[in-house]
Amino acid sequence: MAVKEKTERKARPSRKGGMTLRQRRTLVGLSFITPNFIGFFVLNLIPILFALLLCFNRWDGFNPMEFVGLDNFRYIFTHKVFQQAVVKTVIFTVCSVVITMLLSLGLAVLINQKLKGIGIFRTAIFFPYVASVVAVAAVWQMLFQKDMGLINEILRVLGVSDPPGWFASTKWALPGVIIVNIWKNMGYYMIIYLAALQDIPTSLVEAGMIDGATAWQRFWRIKWPLLRNATFFVVMMLTINSFKSFDLIYALTEGGPGTATTLLSQYIYNQSFISWDYGRASAAAMVLFAIVAVITLFQFRLEKKFSND
Amino acid sequence: MMKKLLSLVLAGAMCLSLLAGCTTGGTPDPTGTPAPPATNPPAEQSETPNEPAELTGTLKVSLWDLAADPIFASVIKAFENANPGVTVEPIDIPSADYGTKLSVMLNGGSDVDVFWVKDANTIYPIAKRGQMADLSSYIARDSLDLGIYNGLAENFNIDGKQVGIPFRTDYYILFYNKDIFDAAGVEYPSNDMTWAEFEELAKKVTMGEGVDKKYGAYFHTWQACVENWAVQDGQHTIMDTDYSFFKPYYEMVLRMQNDDKTCMDYGTVKTANLHYSGVFSDGSVAMMPMGTWFSATMIDKINKGESSVNWGIATLPHPDNVEAGYTVGATTPICINEASPNKDLAWEFVKFVCGPEGAATVAGLGGVPALLDDATLKVISSVDGYPEGALEALQVKNIALDRPIADKVSEIDQMLGEQHSLIMLGESDLDTVLADMAEQSKSIQG
Amino acid sequence: MLNKIPVWRKVLLYVVLILICLVTLLPLLWMLSSSLKLDKDVFRIPIEWIPSDPAWSNYQRIWDQVPMLRFTFNTFKITIITTIIQVFTCSFAAYGFAKCQFRGRNLLFLIYVATIAVPWQVYMLPQYSMMNNVFHMVDTHAVLILLHSFDAFGVFLLRQFCMGIPNELLEAARIDGLSEYGVYRKIVLPQMGPSIATLVIFTFVTNWNDFMGPMIYLNSTELKTVQLGIRMFMGQYSTEYGLIMAASVVSLIPVVIVFLIFQKQFVQGIATSGLKG
Repeated sequence: MAVKEKTERKARPSRKGGMTLRQRRTLVGLSFITPNFIGFFVLNLIPILFALLLCFNRWDGFNPMEFVGLDNFRYIFTHKVFQQAVVKTVIFTVCSVVITMLLSLGLAVLINQKLKGIGIFRTAIFFPYVASVVAVAAVWQMLFQKDMGLINEILRVLGVSDPPGWFASTKWALPGVIIVNIWKNMGYYMIIYLAALQDIPTSLVEAGMIDGATAWQRFWRIKWPLLRNATFFVVMMLTINSFKSFDLIYALTEGGPGTATTLLSQYIYNQSFISWDYGRASAAAMVLFAIVAVITLFQFRLEKKFSND
Repeated sequence: MMKKLLSLVLAGAMCLSLLAGCTTGGTPDPTGTPAPPATNPPAEQSETPNEPAELTGTLKVSLWDLAADPIFASVIKAFENANPGVTVEPIDIPSADYGTKLSVMLNGGSDVDVFWVKDANTIYPIAKRGQMADLSSYIARDSLDLGIYNGLAENFNIDGKQVGIPFRTDYYILFYNKDIFDAAGVEYPSNDMTWAEFEELAKKVTMGEGVDKKYGAYFHTWQACVENWAVQDGQHTIMDTDYSFFKPYYEMVLRMQNDDKTCMDYGTVKTANLHYSGVFSDGSVAMMPMGTWFSATMIDKINKGESSVNWGIATLPHPDNVEAGYTVGATTPICINEASPNKDLAWEFVKFVCGPEGAATVAGLGGVPALLDDATLKVISSVDGYPEGALEALQVKNIALDRPIADKVSEIDQMLGEQHSLIMLGESDLDTVLADMAEQSKSIQG
Repeated sequence: MLNKIPVWRKVLLYVVLILICLVTLLPLLWMLSSSLKLDKDVFRIPIEWIPSDPAWSNYQRIWDQVPMLRFTFNTFKITIITTIIQVFTCSFAAYGFAKCQFRGRNLLFLIYVATIAVPWQVYMLPQYSMMNNVFHMVDTHAVLILLHSFDAFGVFLLRQFCMGIPNELLEAARIDGLSEYGVYRKIVLPQMGPSIATLVIFTFVTNWNDFMGPMIYLNSTELKTVQLGIRMFMGQYSTEYGLIMAASVVSLIPVVIVFLIFQKQFVQGIATSGLKG
């Protein structure tokens, strides 16, 4: 009851007798969240918590599990393929996040115009995200084909006498995969920026125009700060999705040649569905989870700092 | 206020449950009724195989690519015709994801009764988890002779439990393009040829340049298409921890690819996404070692007018130390779910599809049943569209398993696949890779 | 005062946009051209962009060979119901997270976001076991609808947009006597047009293209979806690429229509507030 008294002292009693404003607010807030939360809790959170607890156990997916402490972590941290996968995942993620964010923002600004037929262009740029992974992988494999593919033909015309082997080379497969990944996802994040640009009160922009700011100044001084909620979302989702990236890479290279494009999520997949070791898969997922959690917390700090300004 | 909110939440929840209710399209599972034990005491009259004791019930059977491959549908139909009281409900799963879904189903407590196992890699793990019923008592009861499967059945005896019965078996043979041999004026490949002779022969039938080049040989991008020849003699398996026995075959394929240029370049095939069936059926290669399953594809392509290749088959070339007829292959078993409530009926199904009727159905469609004898071979080779001389070419003396049924085989297979691409792309030197393979194999197998 | 874009800039803009679209539409063009080819010609390099002998029959065969009509209906049903539930519950929760002050809010939100980071490979099995053993819902459409309706992603997306609505606006409404629910319905919801359009597009696309969920949860053929139908043209030993591409092209049509309808929301801001130039 001590807590209650404390809050009562702080908060002014509300009009409706028994409850404090604070309690009422909490209840109202929770009432907004509850419909989604019930579904989320039962259908997603419970299985996810269960899966994460597996990291301290050995489990084949069926028989009773066996507690093994930190063995799974010990195994994956000494596993060469895992170490490589972490390094490659970080490279993949950093490149994908930075380039995709810049491109999608640029595209959103470019496409946020009142032009005839702009809807068609938006659809076209969003298209790679919609297209089936099978088709996307097939067409890029042909474009990147080392002898007769269009990309190497162009490089040869441009004077590159010995163009890279792309997916047939351990050195170039990862850059190739990054390019396709950026291409596939930029339309998606463009849409988010586009929606965010719509939310900017036009009065602010017009005020900037009257002040005689150039388009560039208007963007950086007025629009960019107002895009920070969207940018937070874009960076978070890009980071998470890059860390989890699986389908596209699998369709393009199956993680090869060798283990050149075996990223963390593929490693987790292999542990779950090739080695049937859910404990190790879960331990690897925990590592991924921890990295993302750190980035999220960092971003939250940034967000708070900005909103306190 | 609060009441309003509460009713809102409740209404929402009700909507959801209603939605859930009306979208429940699946039937609530009619298999609740226990299987009729019609076949329980038949010990005295086991001589009459099809006693009219009527079987009834429903069986859930897990399989793959029902629409693309007629074999499963046909054996099920044959079973249903023979047992009109039984309904078989197939659970059709895309082949590429079969292993994943089957394991999730079994782990998740699905009540599927019978399942085929597509991938040799997944047999041991499923058996080890105790999800395959031990069929020994049924085999003893019906005095089924497993000897008729030419030793294949023993592969599915794990820790003293017979967990599966061989249904289909596929083994490698040599497909060749008669037109290219005719054009080169070279005699067709014989049914008794060593790999060294094969390499020489490939040189003789390699012709042309550029887009029109006809390659003497084609090895598909799977590691199996090199490593299989190294396990063909039955002396080694991929579970060894010293892979020097791979070396002669890698050297041969690399020689053919890089020096003689008698086979297509691995990098080109891989990056151009070429499929072996396309390469062979459009007539760009003279000889291709491939599994017996490919005959059905070829016949289909010719019937549809997609290919006009005049093709033939021969026995797979063999290593020096064994005679012709030693080949490599894989067997598809059929198993009963330990959690099935319908095991007796499930066994009748298993017995049927792996027995003479099932085998005849498979063979009639050009597939190779595990119940393989001369009569069956005759049926297969007389299937419409099979090339002449198929009966001789299909003769086998021994089928070594390309992937043994053992613990950790899927990890080893995955590792070998990764390393294979490094060798074939020339990204790494052969000896280094072989040494690395050995090291990894040791660490995987502990 | 602020007038039209100069003509030269317009032309330049169009040229740039067309070039970008050429790159992004490449796979569509390839899919279209492959859908009119025989399997053996699909992967031929150099790519023959306009098939010399178009196999129009591919577009007939996809309906004959598998029950594609049924699959299309199923997919529509799952996708539309999921999208509706998601838009309602997510926008509700988003308002709670963005504009209601209460204890534990940030922690709860952090949990939501963190779960997005867990790859499905690790929790797919526990989820399936729960659905099979506790809810007995395997092999129903309800299971797919439920699993996709409560993803954390939608809450996160809408919350970010909700944050951008000025607090002064909400305070003013509260002083005018609107309850929190009134504020949500009368003030917030109308402001969220573009972001809800975004969520609708994303949810629709994700569910329409989902392969793994239906693959794992559906057993009966009559319940299957378009993406599973497309895989039926893929056999263990042979794949009918021409048919796969034809089916993929057809399956894109609803997605493109949904996109074209909802992207109109993105013009609204400009059109109504008179920002010209």
